[in-house]
Amino acid sequence: MRPEHWLYIIPLRLRSLFRRRRVEQELNEELQFHLEHKIEEGITKGLSPKEARYAAMRAMDGLEQRKEQVRDTRRIHWLTDFLDDVRFAIRSLSRIPGLTVFVVITLALGIGMTSATFSMVDALIFRPYPVPHPSSVVTLVSTTHDSNFDDFSYREYLDIRAKTKSYDGVIAYADMQAVGFTAEPGAMPRVRGGVMVSGNYFRALGVEPRLGRGFREDEDQVPGRNAVAVLGPDFWNHEFASDPSVIGRKVRLNGTEFTVIGVAPETFPGMLIFGHPDFYMPLAMSRVFSTNLQKNFFEDRDDRELNVKARLKPSTTLQQARNELAVLAKNFELEYPKVNHSRGAAVYTQFQTRTIEDGNWRFGVIFVTLALAVLLVACTNVAGLLLSRARARTREIAVRLAIGAGRFRLIRLLLTESLILAALGGLAGIAVGYGFVEWFHNKESIVFMTDLPVGVPFNMDTRALLVALALSAVSALLCGLAPALQSTRTDLVNGLKSADVDIPGRKRLWGRSLLVVAQVSISLMLLTASFLMARSFQHSLLDGTGFKKDHLLMTSFDPRLEQYSAAQTKQFYKLLAERVRETPGVQSAAFTQTVPLGQDSLDGVAFVPDGFQMPRDRDSFTSAMDTVDEAYFETMGIPVLRGRGFLASDTADSPRVAVVNEQFAKHYWPGGDAVGKYIRLDNSAGIPVEIVGVAQTIKYQDTRERPMDFLYMLLAQHPLSRMTLMLRSSGDPLQMVQPVKEIVQTLDANLPMLQTRAYEDLYLNMAVKGPQIAIDLVRTMGAVGLFLAIAGLYGLVAYNVARRTHEIGIRMALGAASSDVLRLVMGKGLTLVGMGTVIGLAMGFALEQLMNSMLFNAGGVDVVAYVIVVPSLFLVTMLAAYVPARRASRIAPTQALRYE
Amino acid sequence: MSKPSDLVQGTLDLLLLKILALQPMNGWAISQRLKQMSGDVLQVSDGSLYPALHKLEQEGWITAEWKLSENNRRAKFYSLTRLGRRHLEKEAANWNRLSAAISQVVRLEEA
Repeated sequence: MRPEHWLYIIPLRLRSLFRRRRVEQELNEELQFHLEHKIEEGITKGLSPKEARYAAMRAMDGLEQRKEQVRDTRRIHWLTDFLDDVRFAIRSLSRIPGLTVFVVITLALGIGMTSATFSMVDALIFRPYPVPHPSSVVTLVSTTHDSNFDDFSYREYLDIRAKTKSYDGVIAYADMQAVGFTAEPGAMPRVRGGVMVSGNYFRALGVEPRLGRGFREDEDQVPGRNAVAVLGPDFWNHEFASDPSVIGRKVRLNGTEFTVIGVAPETFPGMLIFGHPDFYMPLAMSRVFSTNLQKNFFEDRDDRELNVKARLKPSTTLQQARNELAVLAKNFELEYPKVNHSRGAAVYTQFQTRTIEDGNWRFGVIFVTLALAVLLVACTNVAGLLLSRARARTREIAVRLAIGAGRFRLIRLLLTESLILAALGGLAGIAVGYGFVEWFHNKESIVFMTDLPVGVPFNMDTRALLVALALSAVSALLCGLAPALQSTRTDLVNGLKSADVDIPGRKRLWGRSLLVVAQVSISLMLLTASFLMARSFQHSLLDGTGFKKDHLLMTSFDPRLEQYSAAQTKQFYKLLAERVRETPGVQSAAFTQTVPLGQDSLDGVAFVPDGFQMPRDRDSFTSAMDTVDEAYFETMGIPVLRGRGFLASDTADSPRVAVVNEQFAKHYWPGGDAVGKYIRLDNSAGIPVEIVGVAQTIKYQDTRERPMDFLYMLLAQHPLSRMTLMLRSSGDPLQMVQPVKEIVQTLDANLPMLQTRAYEDLYLNMAVKGPQIAIDLVRTMGAVGLFLAIAGLYGLVAYNVARRTHEIGIRMALGAASSDVLRLVMGKGLTLVGMGTVIGLAMGFALEQLMNSMLFNAGGVDVVAYVIVVPSLFLVTMLAAYVPARRASRIAPTQALRYE
Repeated sequence: MSKPSDLVQGTLDLLLLKILALQPMNGWAISQRLKQMSGDVLQVSDGSLYPALHKLEQEGWITAEWKLSENNRRAKFYSLTRLGRRHLEKEAANWNRLSAAISQVVRLEEA
């Protein structure tokens, strides 16, 4: 239709809607005008006024019908009818406020939980990259036997960039890292998060800086030449109060002067899920930032520290890009057999990237599944309630049908009611969702114990709100359709005779029974899941970690922040260790690369056990590792079971030594003793390292992890820049912060102490409080599910029994005893719950298997859960059947027979 | 529906538009004019007139205005809109084509 058309039509429709009475009045007046003329005409023709009037009316052919026809032409019937239905539904709902409130709360819990947990899954998997045309951005990864998500080295990145034709720009960036930031020279650096990116980063992603400019290609070509930085939007806001004159200003990053050239836009918080970088630097400046000290970032092809992403050309398919990269990876293998042997490459879509890189999304999926189960229970509840309400309205519906209402029109009326319930539930559900997300944000400091700019990305954003909306609509249909269909199928004759009748046949009872079974089984499944999670978690805590967590102070150093050379770094740690150990109150002190159960990911090492027959298709194994000094095992209380720990006499010049854990020793030397054996680093031609000791296996990353291989290297032989001091004190470990600070000040006044805290606090957050968040979430859902199921179950069973009052009266009149009646009605309820239990148990078992394989190390079936849950459900059902059955069996038969 | 069985589908609309194209008119006058123009051949009942008029109004082809009639009474006067004029031209052309085709066929059979 032409726009001009709407110009005429919209005012007319609006007028019909909002000036309804006026329009009707005009219609009457118009027709009246016509009739009067017609009557006058009749009178002039010689008819009596009465006859003339009669003739005029007859010519109209039914005045009211004509009016109705005219109303039809207004095309707003669907709306006015709907509004009428809404008005009617609100009136009839306000007559039962208690039920309405219960239903709304029920739906709100289900919808709120589902949309809030959806926002988790969305943030972890689906939310598109914050760049234009996000779907064409793909991730390029290096792959090995043990990993399908490995990084590329700088050299490899340059080759990919030069030799691929599938992309409009290939970018690379390192992980976000702690950078010492000072706005003024000479000030104490503060730790901020920076990301090194390739020169084409902003351009290839299509991100226009909010201020200034992005990097130029030539600024990322000569190592160390262009010290320029682009600020993140939040950082610019907080640190510089959104001052536009920041462009051109000099700031110090890790002690080197950088010029600010631009500010990224608010719409681009970065490509990471959790982290929002404070600034970006060119890869060419990597000398200034922490990269692997043992390697040359610009030259070594096995210094793999770069994430690579690319924008696929519109004309290229994903498969073509994959083939191209596979060929390139093959060439790498041929050309650089030493560092690229059996190494492939893959191209991932966003979905693949997010699901392969990190397993946290599984929690999200489990939460959404459980939340959906809660919503399902809520819907069956509401459906049950609406059904029993519709039964009470049988006569009303029968009357409506009898005077000519169409069935479809009636279904629409009844659906409007459930739509209003669902809409209210959806609104309240959004509030519940906000509450959930807020609750999660409050836990942010527990989830991330870090100085870096990270945050929980779960929000009730437009996408989550849309989901809430869709859920409301679906639940309206789900809850409303079955009751609406059933109640409009009423037998008219019986319906008019009695207020509350079943049509003969079992069909109708069947529907309600199904609801009971569904509720029992779903709530049982929910409970199984929450019990399982909570118990497996408690189990893992009981197991212990294998080391002493108390009286430990931890604090980290990164001398690279002050541009230390390797020799300076070594000297710094040596002096620091000496002076700390002399301090009163210190029992022992040690350095470690990573803290057990901390938040930094573990380093890995590739090796070949000497004399080990390697499988043909691989030339090394990998193991998790840590770099520690000679005091580590004593300080952490990790027993060395065989051989010895590291000694001060193991130095950079003496033969390389390593300590492995029991799991490692059992894995590679199942029969014999690992002590005295050798491994070679990287491959069979690598440096030989003697295993001098076997330490007890502890928990390294997660209290629920399975025992894993682990290898310790000695700091003196494997020097690193960033290390954490672990200090065992005789008193409160936090009392030692000040003495350590003073020692550090004497060594270097400008070197910051990072992540300083009592180790036990970290442990509690990471291993206890963090998982507790997940447990609380699942427990809440389990509790809500059970509560809803019990309420619904009680309602359904009690209603089913109450409906049989009449029948019970007849039975009693014919001589049945109360006990017979009780047995009769309770038997039915118990059968249904029994069926639900069997199905719920089966689903619970399946879910357990799934969760075991996905997340936990719980092992086996949680019997206790069933021992508690199943009898309680039976109890509720019995109570629900008993109370009305008892009442029914007590009433006098004469009264029951009169009951309508 | 509003169309009498003895009128070809849609022709009432065409007639009404044509009448209103000549001058704005109220419902009563239109019914008189219809009778007078087509004699007894086209029977349009008073009843079907108003739904048809309202439909045209709701389509945006005619617009209504309350004015005083010749005997000084308030009446609803309909007039053609720009859109209605264009529609009339199109429909009239259609009608001419259709009737020409039909009469040609009818003549063929006679020959």
